[in-house]
Amino acid sequence: MQPALKTTSIKQKTTQVLGISLEDARISKSYLSVAFIALLLGGLLGLLQGLNRAGVLQLPPWLNYYQVLTAHGILLVVVLSAFFTIGYFYAGLSHTLGGLLPKVRKMAWIGFWMKIFGFVLVVIPILRNEASVMYTFYPPMAASPMFYFGLVFIVLGVWMLSFGAFTQVANWRRNHKGEHLPILAFFATGVFVLLVGATAFVAVEVIFMIIPWTLGWVDGINVLLARTLFWAFGHTAVNIWYLTAVSAWYVVVPKIIGGTRWNDLLTRMVVIPLVIMNITGGFHHQIIDPGISESIKYMHVFMSLAIGFPSLMTAYAMFRVFERTARAKGGKGLVGWYKKMPWGDVRFLAPFIAMVAFIPAGAGGIVQSTNQLDQVVHNTMWVVGHFHLTLGMSVVMTFFGISYWLVPYLSKRVLTPAMNRLGVIQTVIWTIGMVIMAISMHIVGLFGSPRRTSFTTYGDFAEKLGWNPYMALVGIGATLLLLAVILQVYAVFNLMFFAPKGTTEFPIAEEEAGAEKTPYWTERWGIWVVLMLLVVSMAYVLPIVDMILNAPPGSPPFKTW
Amino acid sequence: MNQFLFGLVLLIGLMLPPVARLMESVMIIHMHMQMPMLVIAGFFMAHLFLQRYPQFFNKYNQNGVPGILLFTIIMAYWLLPRTMDEALTIETVEIFKFVSLPFLAGVPLRDSWRRLSKTWKNNVITLFTVVFLGMGWLYIQSNDQLCNNYLVIDQVILGWGFITMAICMVIYLIYIFAVDPSQYE
Repeated sequence: MQPALKTTSIKQKTTQVLGISLEDARISKSYLSVAFIALLLGGLLGLLQGLNRAGVLQLPPWLNYYQVLTAHGILLVVVLSAFFTIGYFYAGLSHTLGGLLPKVRKMAWIGFWMKIFGFVLVVIPILRNEASVMYTFYPPMAASPMFYFGLVFIVLGVWMLSFGAFTQVANWRRNHKGEHLPILAFFATGVFVLLVGATAFVAVEVIFMIIPWTLGWVDGINVLLARTLFWAFGHTAVNIWYLTAVSAWYVVVPKIIGGTRWNDLLTRMVVIPLVIMNITGGFHHQIIDPGISESIKYMHVFMSLAIGFPSLMTAYAMFRVFERTARAKGGKGLVGWYKKMPWGDVRFLAPFIAMVAFIPAGAGGIVQSTNQLDQVVHNTMWVVGHFHLTLGMSVVMTFFGISYWLVPYLSKRVLTPAMNRLGVIQTVIWTIGMVIMAISMHIVGLFGSPRRTSFTTYGDFAEKLGWNPYMALVGIGATLLLLAVILQVYAVFNLMFFAPKGTTEFPIAEEEAGAEKTPYWTERWGIWVVLMLLVVSMAYVLPIVDMILNAPPGSPPFKTW
Repeated sequence: MNQFLFGLVLLIGLMLPPVARLMESVMIIHMHMQMPMLVIAGFFMAHLFLQRYPQFFNKYNQNGVPGILLFTIIMAYWLLPRTMDEALTIETVEIFKFVSLPFLAGVPLRDSWRRLSKTWKNNVITLFTVVFLGMGWLYIQSNDQLCNNYLVIDQVILGWGFITMAICMVIYLIYIFAVDPSQYE
């Protein structure tokens, strides 16, 4: 057992025995509700796009393809992921650190309403077709200033929540001197550190560059610099959602299959490098950008691939845990032990498929961060297929798997066999839909079909017509996915309000018996943060100073839609 | 032994002509990546030396001060624009770089760091913070080309590199002074 849990305080034990307090549960339930409503809306918009690209649905002028695309991206990449991550980790902090402090609860609510207010400000211009700038909002495309003010509030909300989490963790550590932070809270700390680090870049971009420019205070914007700041954030954001999913793989899944956790030190050693090295990975999104010299791009490939290393550690660790657990249950043979896994349990099945999906997803990511290979697929449907594998499968399916125990845990209800069966069906439909969609996107991307382009036959140009069968498959995939979304959202709200009352456990696996004690240096977060800042400054100072000092005159705002 | 081998492989890797040429082609990478990595290589290799020759280190570096002084002198030498230039144009100076940074900076750093008191450590970091701020100011405001081998824009970039690193060290020092570890450990 983890040393930190050995001497748990009375308060902590109470939380773990009696379950989460109503106030803490309300916070997480609110976040999860927003997340799954965003999933429903985002999924619906995804279907509209899929059908448009399949050529079967002409979108009306008052809700055009680019509006739908912008809203789909923001709802799913920003709202669903961020709200789920926060709801999940705040429940985890409450559970493992003995309930949230009253001031932390207050911070969580202030953060919640700031984010909601921000999203309202973001959504209004999108609906009025004044912000069809996609979720990446690259200048020189300029949306209504209201859109960017909304983003500022979202970032402020994220900071509030991050500092809430830090306050909670610092308080726990003051009361548990010399103990290791419980592993789920350790993951949460890493995630919130990264959230602050990543959003700092986008805050600089939006507050100091884009807002003065859209308000007309300055004439031009440094496009390359803005893109660089965006990707320092954007890439890290995606990795934050991934790290959230990974936390469940390490901490929760072993408990669900009846096993023990992977080595504690190695688990923490996955979190620490991911925190230190993550932000600099953003450059591989700019491999095709002009204005960054090739030697810089070449060196940044190292930084991107360095993040792959902890992922490879994770892949090994997970399958080792599976095999160890299955063999302990009598599993035999080279692959025969797989039969001993709880395949009928949605809480395992969904995250398991998520992990498997990360194998092709990670490989595709390496393709995209390699200069020459990326030149073939950059800005094509391949990229869309890639992040539907990473986010749409690896991350979101893990989130779905989590929801089947987290929601009943929060609402003090139970997952019934019928609901579990529904979850399995939902998982299967989602998997089939996403596999069809992502594979056809990858293939058609290799053929050159561009992303972010409304349906067109390019004047019936024969070669481009060859893309259409794949786009039809994208439409079919999107249809299946919406069906799965409806089932998932139904399951979540059923488990939140209608499932039978009862006690559901917060599944946290324990360490293997006789595991070695983890050294204390893993807890020195101050050092990890300074190292992160050092790596960031080493990686960014050269290109950014160059971009500023050798900047072109700057671009005026454009409304391309 | 593993640590020694890791350091040795890192040193040999950094010395490979294509790697060295690539890193030295950009001023800031030359000074802020290649040189620290050479020190890190020495830091790892020091493991073996400290095991084999404890007597030597105990005798000459009893309280860690001589070692950190040597480290500081070597680092200060390699901060000079002229030495960087010479490393690129004179082969013996290039060889001296690959010898001095790992063995005369990396090795004594490792031995001294465990011997130095907390105050000494913080003073060393403060010294380098001040030096980095000064070097940053020098490289940013100088309109003249300080190195024959690098452009003025490279100098300015390096200057900002010094400033950002100094900021990181300031943050670390604030962390050290503001957070009392006895409250947590």
